[in-house]
Amino acid sequence: MPTLQQKPVSARVRNAPPGGMALLKRTLFSEYFTLVLCVTYFVVMLPFSPALGTPTVIKNIFSEMIPLLAVAIGQTFILILGEIDLSVTSTIALASVFGASIMTSNGGYLANQPAAVPVGLMAFLLVGLGVGFLNGASITYLGMPSFLVTLTTRMLFSGIAIWYTTFHTRLSSISGLPQSFLWIGQGEWNGIPYSMAGVALLAVVAHLAMTRTVFGRWLYAIGINRQTARVSGVPVERVVILAFMISGFCAALCSILYTGRLQTGTPILGERILLDVIGAVVIGGTSLFGGKGKVSWTVFGVLFLVLVDTTLRLLGSSLFTIFMVKGVVILMASVMDALRNRLFAER
Amino acid sequence: MALLEAKGLTKSFYGVTVLHGVDLAIEPGEVLGLVGENGSGKSTSMNILGGVLQPDGGSMTLGGVPYAPRDPRDASRAGISFIHQELNLFPNLTVEENLYLDGFPFRFPFLPFIDRRRIRQRTKALLAEVDLPASPATPVSSLSPGERQMVEIAKALSGQARLIIFDEPTTSLTSREIERLFALISKLRARRIGMIYISHILHDVLRLCDHVLVLRDGALVGSDRAANMTPERMVTLMVGRTMEQMFPPRFEKPSATPPVLELRSVSQPGVVKNISLVVHRSEVVGVAGLLGSGRTELARIIFGLAPRQTGTILVEGRELARSPREVMQAGVAFLTEDRRLEGTLGSASIAHNLALPAVESYAGTGTGVLDSARLHAAVSGMARSVQLKASDIERQPINALSGGNQQKVVLGKWLMRSPKVLILDEPTRGIDVGAKYEIYRIINDLAAQGAAILVISSEIEELIGLSDRILVMCHGEFSAEFNKATFDPEEILRAAMKKPVHSSP
Amino acid sequence: MKKGVKAHGILVALRLLPYAVFVVVLVTFASLSSRFLQVQNFLNILVQAAPVAIAGIGMTFVLLTGGIDLSVGAVMYLSACILGVFFKSVAWPVGLLLMMACGSVWGALNAVFITRLRVVPFIVTLATLFIARGAALYLSNTKMIFLPKEVTGLNRLYWFGIPFAIWTLAVVLAVAWVILRETPFGRQIYAVGADPVAAEKAGLKVGRILFLVYCISGACAGMGGFVSITQVGAVSPSFALEREFAVIAAAVLGGTSLFGGRGGVGGTIFGAILIQTVNNGLVIINANPYIYPLVTAAIIFLAVLVDSLRERILKRLQARQIRVEEGGDARLASAPARLP
Repeated sequence: MPTLQQKPVSARVRNAPPGGMALLKRTLFSEYFTLVLCVTYFVVMLPFSPALGTPTVIKNIFSEMIPLLAVAIGQTFILILGEIDLSVTSTIALASVFGASIMTSNGGYLANQPAAVPVGLMAFLLVGLGVGFLNGASITYLGMPSFLVTLTTRMLFSGIAIWYTTFHTRLSSISGLPQSFLWIGQGEWNGIPYSMAGVALLAVVAHLAMTRTVFGRWLYAIGINRQTARVSGVPVERVVILAFMISGFCAALCSILYTGRLQTGTPILGERILLDVIGAVVIGGTSLFGGKGKVSWTVFGVLFLVLVDTTLRLLGSSLFTIFMVKGVVILMASVMDALRNRLFAER
Repeated sequence: MALLEAKGLTKSFYGVTVLHGVDLAIEPGEVLGLVGENGSGKSTSMNILGGVLQPDGGSMTLGGVPYAPRDPRDASRAGISFIHQELNLFPNLTVEENLYLDGFPFRFPFLPFIDRRRIRQRTKALLAEVDLPASPATPVSSLSPGERQMVEIAKALSGQARLIIFDEPTTSLTSREIERLFALISKLRARRIGMIYISHILHDVLRLCDHVLVLRDGALVGSDRAANMTPERMVTLMVGRTMEQMFPPRFEKPSATPPVLELRSVSQPGVVKNISLVVHRSEVVGVAGLLGSGRTELARIIFGLAPRQTGTILVEGRELARSPREVMQAGVAFLTEDRRLEGTLGSASIAHNLALPAVESYAGTGTGVLDSARLHAAVSGMARSVQLKASDIERQPINALSGGNQQKVVLGKWLMRSPKVLILDEPTRGIDVGAKYEIYRIINDLAAQGAAILVISSEIEELIGLSDRILVMCHGEFSAEFNKATFDPEEILRAAMKKPVHSSP
Repeated sequence: MKKGVKAHGILVALRLLPYAVFVVVLVTFASLSSRFLQVQNFLNILVQAAPVAIAGIGMTFVLLTGGIDLSVGAVMYLSACILGVFFKSVAWPVGLLLMMACGSVWGALNAVFITRLRVVPFIVTLATLFIARGAALYLSNTKMIFLPKEVTGLNRLYWFGIPFAIWTLAVVLAVAWVILRETPFGRQIYAVGADPVAAEKAGLKVGRILFLVYCISGACAGMGGFVSITQVGAVSPSFALEREFAVIAAAVLGGTSLFGGRGGVGGTIFGAILIQTVNNGLVIINANPYIYPLVTAAIIFLAVLVDSLRERILKRLQARQIRVEEGGDARLASAPARLP
């Protein structure tokens, strides 16, 4: 898609006083920009909703972060490539109903059998990997723009998820999930939820994959300059497809956690978190232009969005206010991203 | 009175001065030649005249009136048209629409409807003036490069141009089109239009121009009437040093062992025809050829970036696969023509750039986990051995380097794989003379270590200085071969410019 | 050269594919239901396609510049809510203009972020989609909004035997067609879509052109929303939800490229009719409602796929043209004739 390229030199920015400019640059380029933002936000909002400081709310914030972080980590891989995956929400939904349809005791394929939970978990992950593969293959082999491919598959899989549910229940969601499955999403060990440990492990592995592996090098190389990467022997198609499969996999993990919490397989699961996922990754500092991003940034970004979400709910805001605020957060995050990109080009 | 006069133009980018006070003056009806190596400041000074860039210092007058264009539109309103190397026409619009794009006449006053009849008539007249027998309603996408150039000139004339700047106008034209262009330039001269003609083809400059300016490193190093200039003098002024200084000595002799790279009648319709060649260990083979002769395409075919219909390509006797990745794994490396588009990862660190093609060999098998210490040692060793001038290779982005140092990184990243075959397409384009010498030295060292090297270049002197043999490409075929003993620039040029034996379909 | 001919053949085939799909759709539904082929049904299709077609005309302007506007569905809803909540008693022409004004203000907002702050269009309009829907839900308090008879009655308004929706569509189409073909602005849109950097260099005010294009898209969305209200009678919280998909698909099926510079408004009408025909046919044959979104998604996928393949082939053809095939006489660049 042709977009306006930056002019080589923007006189306006260059003529700004050096002090203010340097400060702006330092703040925008800082590694911990989002963390500072989170702390500032917390301190500013605390007087308005004192409950924010209570242990229950803080614990709740961390608990809310876990599934969102899983899917946001997957999205970070995609954004580093310079692509986008808008289909994660319907991946979450489809995985949820597909996995539940296997495990449910109300007529599931493996109802009340010992293999139900392991196979069910595999089913979640297979859906994620499958959707990711389909997205990646359409983008690489058919040359379609990723945002349209994933917008379309988002619609398609959400439709399939709703339809699929009707084969298994007259209700709007599939209940009767086995206890051992729910335990994954709700169990704790010495006060640390299994889900938190799992997602922390995912974060560490993702971080290592980005920074310490050949795949990571290739990922950034493709995001910065696809043609150079290709000429330098990077298997571009394979890397792009793999990244989309990782994104699908992470969405499936998120789906396992959400499904476990809700105790039902729901075809509209995750429908509302699209903005949170994109917003969290972009506000963390990962660029929509590709080639730049980190797992730690995404952690801070997720923290910020959950903070916003929590305060809004504490303040009694309605769902549509939350929509609007998150829309504004995404806009601001992408404006900052564009600004960073321009400033970087001028350095 | 001079048509345009510029005094003391200076310009810097990011603290690097690229123009140190350039003066020039041009009379109505005069053709001013501007020559200089890449990066000598030709484009920068012309971009200032054309309003694309604003100077940091100096002044200009146009017809005696101060002239300081803020953008290209300003410049063209003042009567200065800049015909860029890559043409600025929109292929999805018609000829007439391209001509009037930023100032359509209206059919009714105050109503923004295009007066089609008027622009058609005017376009017809303008096309007649540039001798282009095309209808004004033709879409530009169906015109040849030469015809598009004529449209650009017609566009300049439509804007009542007093001064036209031509930047390398002949690079993509056929010889017939070039003759038409030159005839047109004479015609414009008679109409008292001033012209600035930038070209690397010194004969053309001498033939067309009244006065010649030579730029080197952002400063004017020569200015004389064309009658007093010779190609030799221009080259000496442009380069500033003699041949012997420019090329490091070669000691290694190519070995007579079986060939490392071998092509057997490689063909791709419309691109290359029946190409066979061999390159031995420690041998540097140069490929000369005109732009569009198929020399770059040949390199891309070998590396698997372009398709081939028939023929075999062998490296050490084994047939090459057809994807860049597999070709690379067979020991071939390819330094592409366009560094920014295909050579560097602009915002990535120097180390990341250097490591890219070889990164897999620094990872544990199966896991893909990098051995950072070993990789870092290898990358910094490479940075040293190509004599890279950089402060911190792990942090400094490659963008922050000069062109020459960037090219060293690109070369270094291929050396990280210790290639058996190295293909270089325009290895010294857009880099300064000092860095050129170092690149040549690296190429020689590599040959000494036993690599087979194929160099493509449009600078014949460079090929002569580097190669053991030179092959000349013409219309997708090899038209001549020269050995070190028989190198002769004029003969090479002649072989490259041969008329096609059989007309192409 | 044979290869070039083959590529052109594929291009033509891809261009005609949506029309072939249309024929297949017609034949399939006609064989499944006798009601489908009736004249009245086709008139219905045309009337029902009008809102998407009108918004699609605005979308065509945006796509021609190489941009995209995902906020059109939300803009339809927001402007309808503003009309229904604050201006219940205005005359319908005023209501129509009001909704168009709301839409173009929203378009201007999109444009500020895209042209001044240089954020990519799909992210801007994705965010403003949510903001607009949120604002509209706030205004309507997530309830149904009923509009006065004056507006909803327009559905039964005929002039010279032609329904109101068709008249509106015809006027918009005519105006858009003339703008794109016969005004400097229209031709400049094509130039910007082909190459925004070159357009800037050629002295075009690219920022202003992009700004206007998003305003036009917003205004058309507002108008499409108005026509849609006259048909459904009331504005529910799911009004025009995800309508942007149909709108984009209509333009792309009609031959307008997502990559900018290629296409026109005539095709958009065809695209909208194709989509509406499929929906109408599914209703007539009593298809399972759960497969509607799947069919819609499949159509969009097809549209994007065809366009992407065309773009790929065109790019390859252009790359071949850059090389001077017949013009091998071009000379060595930078070859000094004689060396010292």
